[in-house]
Order: sequence, then structure tokens, then C-alpha cells
Amino acid sequence: MVATTPAAPAVRTRRRTDDGVMTVGRSRAGTIAANTAGVIFSLLMLFPVYWVLNTAFKPADEVLALTPTFVPTHPTFDNFLSAFKAPLFLQDMLNGLVITLLAVAGALVVGFLAALAIARFNFYGRKGIILVILAVQLVPLIALLIPLFLMLQSVSLTNSLIGVSITYLVLILPYTVWTLRGFISGIPRELDEAALIDGCTRAQVFWRIILPLTGPGLVATSVYGFIQAWNEFIIINTLNSPEKQNLMAWLLQNQTTRGTAWGPLMAGAIITSIPVVIFFLIIQRNIATGLTAGAVKG
Amino acid sequence: MSVVESPTTRRTGGSAPHRASGRARSRRRRQTSGLPWLLSIPTLLLLAGLLGYPLVRMVVLSFQNMRLRELISGRSAPWVGLDNYTKVLSDSVFWGVVGRTVAFTVLTVIVSVVIGLGIALLMRRVTRGVRLFMIVAMMFVWAMPQLVAAQIFRWITDSDFGVVNYLLDKLPGVDYQNHSWFVNTWQGWSVITTLVVWAGIPFLAITLNAGLTQVPKELVEAATVDGASPWQTLRNIILPILKPLLTIVTTLSVIWDFGLFTQNWALRDGHPEPEYQTLATYSYTQAFGQSRYSLGSAISVITVLLMLGVMAFYIRQMFKIGEVD
Repeated sequence: MVATTPAAPAVRTRRRTDDGVMTVGRSRAGTIAANTAGVIFSLLMLFPVYWVLNTAFKPADEVLALTPTFVPTHPTFDNFLSAFKAPLFLQDMLNGLVITLLAVAGALVVGFLAALAIARFNFYGRKGIILVILAVQLVPLIALLIPLFLMLQSVSLTNSLIGVSITYLVLILPYTVWTLRGFISGIPRELDEAALIDGCTRAQVFWRIILPLTGPGLVATSVYGFIQAWNEFIIINTLNSPEKQNLMAWLLQNQTTRGTAWGPLMAGAIITSIPVVIFFLIIQRNIATGLTAGAVKG
Repeated sequence: MSVVESPTTRRTGGSAPHRASGRARSRRRRQTSGLPWLLSIPTLLLLAGLLGYPLVRMVVLSFQNMRLRELISGRSAPWVGLDNYTKVLSDSVFWGVVGRTVAFTVLTVIVSVVIGLGIALLMRRVTRGVRLFMIVAMMFVWAMPQLVAAQIFRWITDSDFGVVNYLLDKLPGVDYQNHSWFVNTWQGWSVITTLVVWAGIPFLAITLNAGLTQVPKELVEAATVDGASPWQTLRNIILPILKPLLTIVTTLSVIWDFGLFTQNWALRDGHPEPEYQTLATYSYTQAFGQSRYSLGSAISVITVLLMLGVMAFYIRQMFKIGEVD
């Protein structure tokens, strides 16, 4: 901090001469080495992604070839078609959508109220609620699966979409509250106060100021909830039979019962991932900040 | 996140210079004392019903003997006291699973945090285009659902048609045709570890890179001018500033890796052999594979107890940062 003023101009001139390279005292050779390392690392990371795409577009005989082809020379949609035609694929896709949307909508409504309470009011027990919300996110899901199964069994909610939807709702609720809290407390309190002075009621402050300004936060939070619920397969695989499961569980079933039809399996994996990947890329900025809220400022 | 409100509004009393706003606050608090609780009730009820109650039920179950017979007949399970715990704790298989899970967690967390930090530092060093490429590549990996990633790894390490075997076989003097990666436990676990590290790097590297942007450039430059080596700069300047963030991501990684389920479950076709069991899969297999619900619950209780320290540490850390925030 002390060195701010004198150092700044020096950096700027240096940066210009170094042609885009930001830091002082670093050689061009070093930059080339770093760039090479960065590219190699990225390619290594991408390799499995590339390989699943490569496999999915290959005809069946090329998938099971002893010498794999690295470029799809005969691209085909056959694997995708057979995934779509596979038993229960469409059914499970629809189930997944219903469950996920129900869970996300429910969590958003319920969670928003709690987030509002934590972010905007200073009341006895607030810290306790925050503690509960943080703590339940850490409880391993598998640990709760046994009692959850017995509980839902006793009220006949196993093998039903409703039972899973409620379970997923509760799963994504803590994160929803925690993230929305961050967004709401990002809205300057002075806005509330100005509106109150101008004669708004508390309800009007909520509808006209907090809700519209939290819009982007609601989108980000619900998308993250969607990803969580869409990706879940352990609970649904335990509670429901195949015709009441989602696509993730389908991927798991598919592997155990039908051996290894790698082409259609990879195609199914791609179809299952597409909504998640798209959504994820939209909101990637917000995901890390929820988990490490406050640790990074900016 | 909360830039405008913090320290004054968060803390109840309000320090001397902000006495006026403190008074305004206490007035408002009186007017609305019941409202925040009313708003929190739906959330608290749902959490209590579907997370709190099962948690209690899990503890209760671990002192009973719930088997398939009780489940079907609906009769209440008999109390057996500490039987499940003595059975579990005197079982060498269980301790093997505990040791394996702990060893896996320690190794995987160290490897992924070190690589993540290395990549984050590398991202500061490369030119802009390369950095963008790195971020895009990592985003695709990060977005990949766990199960899909596990399936992809199952495919590329397939013994007959897997591309990894094909590529390794090309190396001179290496015969990896039809090599099965899961016969040898060390090899099998290295595949699982690679998968977990590969999937974990994006979160670590991108978060830590965001943290690195907070390190004042002037400090690093001053150190360089004063003759500090890159290693000294890292150790004495960058790491201390990064420490709170590094602590949080490491703690999260410990919690996630300790609960390993999806990866070993999927890579072993949903039936992990004894040497591929972790605490999570072991508890699951006992409960749902063998209908020993009580034994599974006892294992879960022990798992949670083992994790309690780390979890408490994480929450304390979040509160600490929250106060600064």
C-alpha cells in the first residue's frame, strides 16, 4: 500500500514496452514457457471432454476399434438416436425436469423470505439461523439417506416424484438462502430507508426495491439450484424405481444392466450434461463467491 | 459483497461515530421484532423436517436393530444399545475403510490444492489469450456433472477399448493392451484420484486466481526490487495474503473428498469391491445392499463425528470473514 504512488507509473511504462506482458522483471523466454505450460495444461484438462464428443459421434464399429480414431472421419448421430430410443430415456428426462423445476421454484420462494430476514433484520437468533444454514450444507447426504428413506417410506412418498422434489428442495435450500442473502445485503440499505421516508410501506419496499434489484441474484441462484437437483442421482436411485428416476440415474442404470454400450452411453451423457453446462457457463461468476463468500472481495 | 452496509449495520450497538444510525436501527428493530422470525419459519420448518429430524432419526437408528423384517412389517425396531457401535468399531474392515478414506482425502487434497495454486499462479504469468483459454477449458471441466465425468473416466480407462491403454501401449517397452486398471488397488485408486483432482482443479485454480488479484502488485514489485527470489516472494508475501481464502478452499476440499461416493461408486459399476470402499459407500452398502439400516446409520454417525472438527472449523472461518465483510 505504501508503495502505491511511486510504483504505478513505472509499471505502466514497462507494460507498454513489454507488449502486453503485465509484470516487471520477467523475461520473454519465461513468458513463452508459461504460455506453453498453460496451453498444455488446458489441453490435458480438455482431453476427456474432447474424447467423449469424439466417441459420441463415431459409428458403432469405430467406437469399439482396437486402434481408436482421433478425428471422427465418419461422423454420425446414430448414438444420439439410440440413446433417445433407449427405454425410459425420455421418461426419465421428463421426470428430471419436473422434479428439478418443482424443487427450484419451491426453494426460491421459501429461501428468499429467510434470506430477507437474515440480510435485512438484526434480530435475536439471527446468528443461530446462519449457523444452521452453514452447518446443514456440510452434512454428508449419504448419512441422511437411510433415515430419509425410512421416513418417506412410512408416508408412502418413496417411488414418487413429489417425495424426491421435496427432498431436493431441502437440499438446495441452504445454498439458496445463503446466496440470496449475499445479493440482498449488496443492495444499499439507504435505498430502503429513502423509500420508507418517502412513505412506502415495508411491503412496497420489498416489491419495488428489493425484489427487482435481486433479479440477477434470483436467476443465478435458481440456475445453481437447477444444476444441483439435475445432477443428483444417489437419492433418486435409492428412493425410486427406474420409471420414476431422472437422467443421471438413467446413466447409472444403463451401465449396470446393459453392460457397456459406450457410444449411446456417451451420447446420453452429453445430452444429460448440455443443460447443466449451458447454465453453468451463464452463471459461473456467482458460483465460487457463494462458497467462499467474503473471502474474495471484488 | 456487502460494500455499503457493513461494519456499522451488522453490529448491534454501533460505535461512537455512528450513534445516530444505531439509534435508528434499534427503533426499527422494535417495530419489526416478530417479522424476521416469521420470514424464516418456512425455511426452518423444512430444514427441521427433512434434515434435522432425519439426523436425529439416524442417531436413534444407530442404537436399534433395524433390518428388512422391521422395514416390511412396520414393527418398531428393537433397542440394542451400543451393539452396532461395538460391532463396527471392533471390525477390522471398518478401520480399513476409515484408513483408506483418510489417506485418500489427505493425498487428494494436498495434490489438488498444490496444483490448483500452481495453476492460479500460472494464470497470472501467461498472456491474456492463454489465460482465457485456460479459463474456458476449466469451465467446461467444472460444469461437467460428477457422474458424467466418472463415466468418461470409466470409458477412457476401459481395459479393451480405452484410449489410455492405447496411448500407453505406444510407449516403447510398455505393454498395456487389455490392461485392467482396477485389478491393482494402487492403480485403481490413482485413476479415482486423478478423476477427483481433475474435477477439483477448476474450482481451486479459479477461486485462488481471484484471490491472487487482491495481492497488491506494488508489494510483489517492491520485494523483487529488494532482491527477493520468486520463492521468497511467494512464501513471504503472496501466501500470507492468500491464507484466509486458501484455508477455506482447503477445508471445503477436505469435506468434499472425505465424502467420496460418486467416483468410486461409478468407476466400480455400482458395486465397489472391499478395497474400493470409502466411508460413504461402505455405509450405503451396509444399509441398502445388505438391509442393515442400523449398522449403516452407526457408520454414518461415526463419519459425521469424524468430520465435525473440520466442519466447525469451516463455519468458524466463514463467521470470521463475515465479520470483516
